[in-house]
Amino acid sequence: MPPKRKAPPGQASAAKAGRASAMSTPGPATPRSLDSSMMSEADEDFDEDVTEAQREREAMLSKEADEFVNKFTFGGKRLQGQSDDSGREVRRYDAATPFFRKRDFSHLPLKPDHQNRPLWIDPDNCTVVLERFNPLAEQATDFLITIAEPKSRPTFLHEYALTPHSLYAAVSVGLRPRDIINTLERFLKTSLPDVVRKKIEDHTRSFGKVKLVLKHNKYFVESVDAEVLQTLLKDKVIGALRVHGSGSDKFTTSYAPTMGGLVIPGTQNAAGVHQANLKPAEKKPGEGGGASNEADLFTALNEEDDDDDKEAVHAFEISDANVETVQKRCLDIGYPILEEYDFRNDDVNPNLEIDLRPNTQIRPYQEKSLSKMFGNGRAKSGIIVLPCGAGKTLVGITAACTIKKGVIVLCTSSMSVVQWRQEFLKWSNINPDDVAIFTAESKNKFSGSTGIIVTTYSMVTNSRERSHDSKKMMDFLRGREWGLMLLDEVHVVPAEMFRRVISSIKSHSKLGLTATLLREDDKISHLNFLIGPKLYEANWMELSQQGHIAKVQCAEVWCPMPTEFYDEYLRANARMKRTLYAMNPRKFQACQYLINYHEARGDKIIVFSDELYSLKQYALKLKKVFIYGGTSQAERMQVLENFQHNPEVNTLFLSKIGDTSLDLPEATCLIQISSHFGSRRQEAQRLGRILRAKRRNDEGFNAFFYSLVSKDTQEMYYSSKRQAFLVDQGYAFKVITQLANIEKTPDLAFATPQESRELLQRTLVDNERGAEDDVETDDLFGKPGRGGGRGGNGRKNNGGGVRRTAGMLSELAGGQDMAYIEQNKAANKALKGKGGKKGAGGGGADGQSKFFKGLQREKDKSRARGA
Amino acid sequence: MVKAVRGVLVECEPAIKSILVHIDSTHHHEFIIEDLDETHLFVKETMLHVLKSKLEERLKETYRPEEPLEDSD
Repeated sequence: MPPKRKAPPGQASAAKAGRASAMSTPGPATPRSLDSSMMSEADEDFDEDVTEAQREREAMLSKEADEFVNKFTFGGKRLQGQSDDSGREVRRYDAATPFFRKRDFSHLPLKPDHQNRPLWIDPDNCTVVLERFNPLAEQATDFLITIAEPKSRPTFLHEYALTPHSLYAAVSVGLRPRDIINTLERFLKTSLPDVVRKKIEDHTRSFGKVKLVLKHNKYFVESVDAEVLQTLLKDKVIGALRVHGSGSDKFTTSYAPTMGGLVIPGTQNAAGVHQANLKPAEKKPGEGGGASNEADLFTALNEEDDDDDKEAVHAFEISDANVETVQKRCLDIGYPILEEYDFRNDDVNPNLEIDLRPNTQIRPYQEKSLSKMFGNGRAKSGIIVLPCGAGKTLVGITAACTIKKGVIVLCTSSMSVVQWRQEFLKWSNINPDDVAIFTAESKNKFSGSTGIIVTTYSMVTNSRERSHDSKKMMDFLRGREWGLMLLDEVHVVPAEMFRRVISSIKSHSKLGLTATLLREDDKISHLNFLIGPKLYEANWMELSQQGHIAKVQCAEVWCPMPTEFYDEYLRANARMKRTLYAMNPRKFQACQYLINYHEARGDKIIVFSDELYSLKQYALKLKKVFIYGGTSQAERMQVLENFQHNPEVNTLFLSKIGDTSLDLPEATCLIQISSHFGSRRQEAQRLGRILRAKRRNDEGFNAFFYSLVSKDTQEMYYSSKRQAFLVDQGYAFKVITQLANIEKTPDLAFATPQESRELLQRTLVDNERGAEDDVETDDLFGKPGRGGGRGGNGRKNNGGGVRRTAGMLSELAGGQDMAYIEQNKAANKALKGKGGKKGAGGGGADGQSKFFKGLQREKDKSRARGA
Repeated sequence: MVKAVRGVLVECEPAIKSILVHIDSTHHHEFIIEDLDETHLFVKETMLHVLKSKLEERLKETYRPEEPLEDSD
């Protein structure tokens, strides 16, 4: 990109503005190094010389650029006002300027030796751009990871953002504001803009003054400085939320152990502060012996604390429901609340006997992520982002082993509940009785005074009627303080659900784990208040280079739409459009071709399709196995088993239920036929299915990710949107417009126009009838609403009356678990469709007498009124 | 009496042709004189300008769909 952008400015502006030749070549007149040709902005600043005022005037004169120039001068004034520190206020203008609009920072003067410095900065939104090819890049990366959040990390230019959260994180690991500013100054090509400097100072000054602590199941805002609390209480929002205990308006004052405990070496090992410095292998054995030692030291320390060294801590209480509001408000007024858990000095909650097994090896990035969490010997709440298959579970378990208190683990499905428990037993030496499962099927409690509970989000947040057992269990969960709450796959859970979880279960620290911290609905920022800031985000590219996750080649295959399909596409409604571009026969051929090609190479292939209709059509036509929401559990297991071990079954078709929870290390190739609009998360999660490929460490091994896209349709737009996240992680998508020798494929499907026309007709007919039939909910949270007549969901659904009845009948007959439906789906749908249209009241409504028709009409009317 | 209409030969990709035909059919067939083959159309010269702008609009739609992006939970 940069070189592309770089070239035009000089030439284009020369040609367009018709300048005198002397001025039209400002570029070559200034020294230009090879390096600098990589950076677009560098170019801007290079041609800064005396003639720029002149050139600007000329440009103003040139009529064709009039609009642009107006825009520019307007923007220019705005920026000049801000940057009064720079001597050269007059900014250059060239043909590229309008494209930068407000983000043109060419007025910032470069340092003389800027080529040796790796960082650029955007003062308006505090974005830092790092040149990866700079010799200093490594050091700069380390520094940036500490103080900023990574935004985008392709091969050559990385983008980081300075956010309040990231700056707090930096301060909490011991960096002083002065250090941050000086180091930034050292790495930056321009001098650090005052705006940014001020921002850094502002955000770091008040850090750590206010804390949110959980004491005896109540939340307190705590500070050593009563003044600060007064300020907070004077704030309209926070003051109103204070819980007034027993009429007195005084702060509760108590004494807390000082941080003196942190310097005790024995404890620090255990706390994982220095995990990064120790070899994992030598860390583990030492711990067993150290534990008793440690306990002694604790008591010694606490006694000491009781005697002297006390510091008054002032606090006021806030109610559970308002925690988030207060946190938000405090951040706004510049007193960010620190949520840290001093777990080693917590004597109230019993310790849990848990340690990693001696043979457990933690990978370097896992250590790094944990060291961020336990940066100062206490547990910070936050989110750790690791790619799929990079061992998130182990990170969670290690965190639990470090805190050694009661742990509650929340996951998305009952399948993963079982997996989490197994992982706990596999990696740690915990007593199996202490890991309990709380799901619809089993409601165990741990034997001892504390332990681990693994459950699902829906179990905990379920607001419907509960069975006696689960109610008792919930009371149990609510009634205690937990040391750590592990939140698996945090990105999938709606913010509302989190609120409910967090307000009902009290935990001292929370750790969210996810691979894709993004949502299309921008609600991700809510997680910052509900859980905590992003603590660590792994660099996908680095991990794949180190062999922790597979290397993946990504490609987007463009499949042209045959004319008759495209004609139909233009006329169709939105839903039919989606079906049509999924059913594109050229896409089908491409899919067939790729399957043949990769099966011949010995790859195991997963084909994803969101569209159920096309999923079935593809799978049936190509005679491959498939799994979708309606596939029974037993059949699923059988299919998966076969896919994993049977050399005959190399291709598996999956609907979106396979996006997340499935773990198939055999898969090495992935083809995507249709997808959920522009969901970046789905794209990343799907890619995750092949990242843990078993064969990833083979010489020269590559996994393949193909996205099949119908040309000239909306899919093109969605596709580019979907890729954004992966591109930010450094993946490059190749575009394939023509698959070589595709026409030579034996038994190529829909090769003749005749066949493809038939396909079109069939698609149209089938989908007209059973259009609403294909609605499939996600495995995770869709279940409550789907379960036949249960809950209020079914009753509200007027139109689905027929379907519901039918479903219940088959349920009663046990037909739900039969697989015969798939053989002749079209006929099934045809039947259903007929029933749905003609007889809204039930089966056999055809050929009704007048009387019944009248009744029916009445019924419909009353229903319509009710709705 | 023979009536002559001035026309322009338009050569384009099949997909674009489809869109053009579709535009034509939704506007009382006021653009196209003759549909020649997969990639060729004969279009009224006077309407060429309008047709072009209509096509631009349609192409924009293709790459920026109006429906909001949903993301299921």
